[in-house]
Amino acid sequence: MALRMGQGTIAFALTELRVQLHEGLAIATSMIVQVVLLVFVVILAPSLLPYALLGAVVYSVFQLGQRIQNEAAFIRIDHKLNELYHASSLSAEGYFLGLSLGVLLAYLPPVVILLLLIELLAPLTAVSALVLTAVVALVWLFTCALGYIISTLFRDMRAIWPYASLLTNFFGVLPPVFYPIGLLPGYWHPIALAIPSSAAVVLVEAAQGGLVHLSNLEIAYAATSLTVEALALFGFAVYWARVTARER
Amino acid sequence: MAEEALVAEDVRKRYVSRGAPPTDALRGVSLRIDKGERVGLLGRNGAGKTTFLRIVSTLLIPSSGSVRVFGRDAIADPDAVRSMLAVVPQEGKPFFHLTPREQVYSYLRARGFTRETARFRSEEALGQMGLMEIADRLSITLSGGQRQRTMVATVIATEAPLMFLDEPTIGMDPFARREVWASLRRLTAKGCTILLTTHYLDEAENLAQRLSVIERGKVLVEGTGESLKRRAGGTIRVSITGGEKLGPELESFGLLIPDGSALHVVTSPERVQEILGLAVRAGLPASVGPVTLEEAFLRVVGRSIDEEG
Ligand SMILES: Nc1ncnc2c1ncn2[C@@H]1O[C@H](COP(=O)(O)OP(=O)(O)O)[C@@H](O)[C@H]1O
Ligand SMILES: [Mg+2]
Repeated sequence: MALRMGQGTIAFALTELRVQLHEGLAIATSMIVQVVLLVFVVILAPSLLPYALLGAVVYSVFQLGQRIQNEAAFIRIDHKLNELYHASSLSAEGYFLGLSLGVLLAYLPPVVILLLLIELLAPLTAVSALVLTAVVALVWLFTCALGYIISTLFRDMRAIWPYASLLTNFFGVLPPVFYPIGLLPGYWHPIALAIPSSAAVVLVEAAQGGLVHLSNLEIAYAATSLTVEALALFGFAVYWARVTARER
Repeated sequence: MAEEALVAEDVRKRYVSRGAPPTDALRGVSLRIDKGERVGLLGRNGAGKTTFLRIVSTLLIPSSGSVRVFGRDAIADPDAVRSMLAVVPQEGKPFFHLTPREQVYSYLRARGFTRETARFRSEEALGQMGLMEIADRLSITLSGGQRQRTMVATVIATEAPLMFLDEPTIGMDPFARREVWASLRRLTAKGCTILLTTHYLDEAENLAQRLSVIERGKVLVEGTGESLKRRAGGTIRVSITGGEKLGPELESFGLLIPDGSALHVVTSPERVQEILGLAVRAGLPASVGPVTLEEAFLRVVGRSIDEEG
């Protein structure tokens, strides 16, 4: 399954970037939950700050998928602009990727601010910085795919909204993204390590050393789960983008 | 023989969706359009026009039938034809947070045009659609008609070989509509091919060289506006105020259409003199004019509704 992208994909990404940048308020407020949680942690349990900072980065990246979900649904259901792009030389996967890249570029500044905070308050080693880069990339693939797939499943904008809140809570709040996995009873660990968002955070914590104590087997399990889930879902989303470029 | 741009054969579509019983939106539609033609697709609401346009533009999979675009199978291999297409979807809108200038330019870029070509073509299309004065305002601040002009500008700027426009002039003022007509004429003069739908019959008559009327998913009539009028029973209309009184006497002259206080007689040019004579003798005011396409459409489609019940 060869990806057919090119200049058109980049041009569409820049279009989306431009569209998103007009929503400065949305970009700024995309940080609210993370910042509020960080403030709580600083007040209530300052020792957990390194966990919460890493959690905030992964959470922010996961949220990109929710933006894609809403944007893709909006330009399809409300504007029908997808028809202009699908009936053109821009490939269906180029459309999906362009949208994903545009949203990423627009929402990058908040992530950069969080990374600077990490550098100031709880600096990472070179190895854990590399691990963070890798897991964030995988979470991005996962969340773009999930958001785009869900956006295609409905004919009504309002039917999509509940999913954004459901997914944010399921992937961002419930599993150990903002809090240490050690606070969960042991029998929950296999599940937490199989959920991409919490697996990503825990892998960086393990690389950083001292934040979490995992066996090598658990690390391998988390890394494999995250990689396989992210790549498989992304691959499916590319296929799905092609299939849904034509309605049935 | 002319080069074929679009050949659709026996296209059928049954929608099976939640919230509605299965609907046979198309029941065997065939249409052939040659390169450089402008063809109008007419029909009542729900006749199947949008369904047909979405199928031939690779946006909807038909239940059966075949579609070829410049000789290529658009159903088996949609990617092979997509770069030759451009569509104005029914009730589409430009990006709210782009200006018309950004919208047209960025769409051309996404289609792979170079910066220079995209800039040149977008300025040209904006000018043709009368958008220059508002080209740098966000589309969210534009009126419905201005947004629609932006959509049309976006698509005509591509000069794609085959364009599908679904009610492109909806909500436009008479000046804007004429700008669209002129642009579409220019495009076909350059070799582009156009299929459009419209409910403005004057537009269809002015713009389309050939018409296809569909009704309940089938082609009812195909041909020029003139041939459609002939099928309606004549090309001349004599309107007689208070003509009902003459009713029975007039029946032999052609089709009678009561319309408020007037009675229209659709007839052939040779018989006009006789009818006017009758009206004058009865002391009734009468006027003569061409049958409009709208009258012919009402007549032809109305007859079909009566027959099928
Ligand atoms: N997604 C759909 N699901 C079920 N029925 C549909 C759907 N889209 C259109 N239809 C039905 O198909 C018929 C043709 O619709 P359409 O092609 O939009 O007509 P037109 O464009 O001529 O007004 C209508 O009866 C309409 O209700
Ligand atoms: Mg329609």
